[in-house]
Amino acid sequence: MNDRKGTGINGLMALACVGIALVAFTSGYYAGAVLSAGQTVTIVDDYGRQIKLTGVPDRIVSIAPTPTEILFAIGAGDQVIGVDDYSDYPNEANNLTKVGNALELNVEAIVGLQPDLVVTGDLVPKALEQVEKRGIPYMVLAARTLSDVIKDIRLMGVLTGHAEDANTLADSLEVRIQAVTNLTLAPTVVRPKVYIEYYEYYTFGPGSFGDDMLRAAGGVNVAGNTSSEYPVVGPEFVVAADPDIMVYTIGPMTTVDPSDFGKRPGWENITAVVDDAIYSIDDDLVSRYGPRVVDGLEQLAAILHPELFS
Amino acid sequence: MTAWSSWQRSCIRNYSAEERNMSDDKVRRVSGSEDAERLGNARKKRALYIMALLALLVTVSFISILTGTIGPIGPGKPEKISFGDAFDALLGHGGSDSDYLVAIFWEIRIPRVILGGLIGASLACAGAAMQAVFRNPMADPFIIGVSSGAALGAASAGLIGFTVVVGDFTAPMFAFFTALVTVFVVYRMGLVRGKMYVETLLLSGVAVAAFLGALVSFLIYFAREDYHELIPWLLGALTDAQWSYVAIIAIPAIVGSFIIFLYGRELNALLLGEETAHNLGANPESLKKLMLGVAALMTAGAVAFAGIIGFVGLIVPHMMRLLFGADHRMLVPASTLFGASFLIFADSLARTVVPGEELPVGIITALCGGPFFLYLLRRSRTGGGSA
Amino acid sequence: MKLEVRNLSFSFGETKVLKDITFEVCEGESIGLMGPNGSGKTTLLRCLTRYLPAEAKALLVDMKPLHTMTDRELARTFAVVPQSTATDFPFTAYDVVMMGRIPHMSGRMGGESRKDEEMVRSAFERTGSWHLAARHFSELSGGERQRVIIARALAQEPKALLLDEPTVYLDISGQFEMMDLIRRLNKEEGITIIAVLHDINMAARYSDRIALLSEGRLEAIGPPEEVLTQETIQSVYGINVAVRRDPFSHAVYVMPSVRRAVASRHGTRVHILCGGGTGGPVMKVLAEQGYAVSAGVVNILDSDYENANDLRVPVVAEVPFSQISQESHAENMRMIDECAAVIVSPFPVGPGNFRNLEAAKEALARGMRVLAIRPTNSPEIDFVGGKANALIKELISHGAIEVKNADEIIHHLSPVRV
Repeated sequence: MNDRKGTGINGLMALACVGIALVAFTSGYYAGAVLSAGQTVTIVDDYGRQIKLTGVPDRIVSIAPTPTEILFAIGAGDQVIGVDDYSDYPNEANNLTKVGNALELNVEAIVGLQPDLVVTGDLVPKALEQVEKRGIPYMVLAARTLSDVIKDIRLMGVLTGHAEDANTLADSLEVRIQAVTNLTLAPTVVRPKVYIEYYEYYTFGPGSFGDDMLRAAGGVNVAGNTSSEYPVVGPEFVVAADPDIMVYTIGPMTTVDPSDFGKRPGWENITAVVDDAIYSIDDDLVSRYGPRVVDGLEQLAAILHPELFS
Repeated sequence: MTAWSSWQRSCIRNYSAEERNMSDDKVRRVSGSEDAERLGNARKKRALYIMALLALLVTVSFISILTGTIGPIGPGKPEKISFGDAFDALLGHGGSDSDYLVAIFWEIRIPRVILGGLIGASLACAGAAMQAVFRNPMADPFIIGVSSGAALGAASAGLIGFTVVVGDFTAPMFAFFTALVTVFVVYRMGLVRGKMYVETLLLSGVAVAAFLGALVSFLIYFAREDYHELIPWLLGALTDAQWSYVAIIAIPAIVGSFIIFLYGRELNALLLGEETAHNLGANPESLKKLMLGVAALMTAGAVAFAGIIGFVGLIVPHMMRLLFGADHRMLVPASTLFGASFLIFADSLARTVVPGEELPVGIITALCGGPFFLYLLRRSRTGGGSA
Repeated sequence: MKLEVRNLSFSFGETKVLKDITFEVCEGESIGLMGPNGSGKTTLLRCLTRYLPAEAKALLVDMKPLHTMTDRELARTFAVVPQSTATDFPFTAYDVVMMGRIPHMSGRMGGESRKDEEMVRSAFERTGSWHLAARHFSELSGGERQRVIIARALAQEPKALLLDEPTVYLDISGQFEMMDLIRRLNKEEGITIIAVLHDINMAARYSDRIALLSEGRLEAIGPPEEVLTQETIQSVYGINVAVRRDPFSHAVYVMPSVRRAVASRHGTRVHILCGGGTGGPVMKVLAEQGYAVSAGVVNILDSDYENANDLRVPVVAEVPFSQISQESHAENMRMIDECAAVIVSPFPVGPGNFRNLEAAKEALARGMRVLAIRPTNSPEIDFVGGKANALIKELISHGAIEVKNADEIIHHLSPVRV
């Protein structure tokens, strides 16, 4: 009788293990799950869309710089077969087939590559519907905050079968972010007023990624209470706001240099101009929501709080 | 019920039947002082209306100066100031912590209002002149290629590396230059054996504009992200207004509108046809060339600094014609003054409609101008009793 | 003022439009410029207004060469009234006439002077259009618009008025109104008139002299009777006209004249005395049967005139509302003489065309076959107090054959066939 009981309990436990394993295998959620070939998984992207995938995608086309950078950063660069014109980081991405860009997608090129997944950033061109009709799924990455970026990195890790690398990367990024915000968001820290622009009078408004970065870097965005995510303000607005620091991004659209700011009508007496506290930052670091944003955060924090970061 | 404008109606009294019969007889010269007096009143009426438009301009300007993202008239972002503070800043009272208010008023708003007025005046006055030269109420100051020429200049300036940046005059000068070159090319195309044929000129303008527009689009595409620079310019914006711009624009604007006003009589004759104008001694050839040149200069200046602000040049002269008739001695000054008021008003809206932000004023002129004009048109059709 | 045109020639590129034209216009004259399309009339006017650049020595006003005048001086010499003036712009008639003062207004800054206002008012009154002053120009009728344009021309205080086919777009009452106004201005105020007119009869009526152009050359210039002869009109316009005197105005009057008879299959000539549309069916039937038909005398407003033209039947025509003239009657008899038979259709007889019946009587007297159509149940045709009915009865009793309709005529005529 004892043997039979023992066998029964062992059996139950074995069953339970198999059951849990099965559940774990077949669960649709990325948290802790691992994909392998032959499985059908449903993932949820940042727009809440459900995408069915059969197995690990190894013919990925990225039509925005953000997913490109993430994919390469997590070690999935070999699985990327096509990128858009703007994806120029890392260097290897430049050698891949170009498929247009989010504003002018070359649908034929994409279809011709016969990808099993297309990844895009926050811009979702209508042309993607055509791609979808041909049976090619697409997913959207749309990070609005730093934590969203971490989430995206982990998601892509699971998707591409590089969960471990991705998690390692994500973890290290989180550590770095924490290191910054521990200092910048401390209650005793005096937060300077910051005006940031990526083109003349084009700034980041509430709800935008740049706004979140400024907050994390320990600054007060003077455009933080305007009405849109990417407002266009005027000279008067900035004079009235009187920022302590001005930051402009250097990117393809940039035409200014620090001395130009003082020449804008009425700007001579703005604190930032008087103190000559006008800094620049690489546009990529604040507009590509991949691992490099943390570099951007660190740079911003150093600009805003030199006293905290040597 | 005639569709005569009221100021004219008051000038001519109705004649009784027997008086009309008398006119079939021999020649009779007018010696009565009554009619002369009434017609003299016409001139006074004209002056009165001009004064009224001037008063409107001053009022609109004053209100506009007080309007903006920080108020006192406005959404109050990032902060709201009171009328008291505003007046203090305007008059130069107030302590040193309102220095920034003084800067806002005296270095941003006031030059902007004045610039807007000068540009609105230039565009409307040039528009009236163009409508007379082309004998077409649908003409606007951009019809001869000024806007596409300037756009090409601005686009190339951006591409070559000149900056469309505050304080740097390179791009505006470039745009001004290319605008004038374009006009000259179109003008030469419109000349046949030394005579200017307006139909040919019009078509050449359209063709050249299309061609240059395609070039600009090509440049934009080629420049990829740089096209963002051009969008506010293409839509027309007064964002970079400053005193130096005002000083430069003032001359072509004021002198140009004055010259056009001086030729009001001849422009009237031109509307009746070139041969008629010639037979009346108005010399249409030199008149057309002069008007075209002056209008082109005024428009090119406006476009070089503020981008392509549409509808002002087309709609303001129309509106004035509906209100005051087609006589250019009234139409030109009326258009000039109302054009200024209109643009200043549109710019006030551009600065306050979206709290904290500034829209390109060209959007507002299009949105405002169209419906308002339609309303005026309807009123003149149904209420004025034409035909 | 005296206008001298000396050896004026003008070419558009290779094409010579005016060839060596010389004439003079004296003060107070009224000259009609005429010619077929393309003869250069409008070009000549445009040379006078300097809208087209003519040679320097060719044009002089009061001994002063035209090309030395300023634009304003020229506008004070000649004022133009064109064919039509349409505008989309809301000018009032007053505005339009005031524009005529442009060549007089000096100083850019000044507005209208008292003199300008007086002249405009006077111009309106002299053209009887002051009541139109407040109205929109584009809302006026064609005739009213032309009057206002003449007023504008007068406001220019010109030495001569140049009119380019001013009546083209007017109805007939408007035409006469306008020409009367122009004549009044010419005779009562002494304004010299140079008018391009397309209507020969109107030109004859209203001009002191007529200048006839043909293919750029001045064919003739002189009083209407001298210029408007059958030969000249035939050579310039290529049409055959009969020249008469207008019974009302005594001016020279031209009408398209008789055509040669059209040869037919059997060549039998028949003449129909008709009118009031009664001849039409007869002409048709006879023409179909191969007869060579002629008709007369009908006035040119009569439908039988149209019928005759339609069927290419030569017809003797007469001026409307007047008696058959001696010439027409003679013409009628000449045609009858060529014929084998004369047919009298049941036309309404009034004092004006009674002579047609007399022609029938004469034909009968000369021994010709006369057939009179008297349908049963026909309406009254006698409007001369019984004389017509009496004459017809007389014709029948003297040998004219009475038939009921056109078909009976064929029956009766067949033995006549040659």
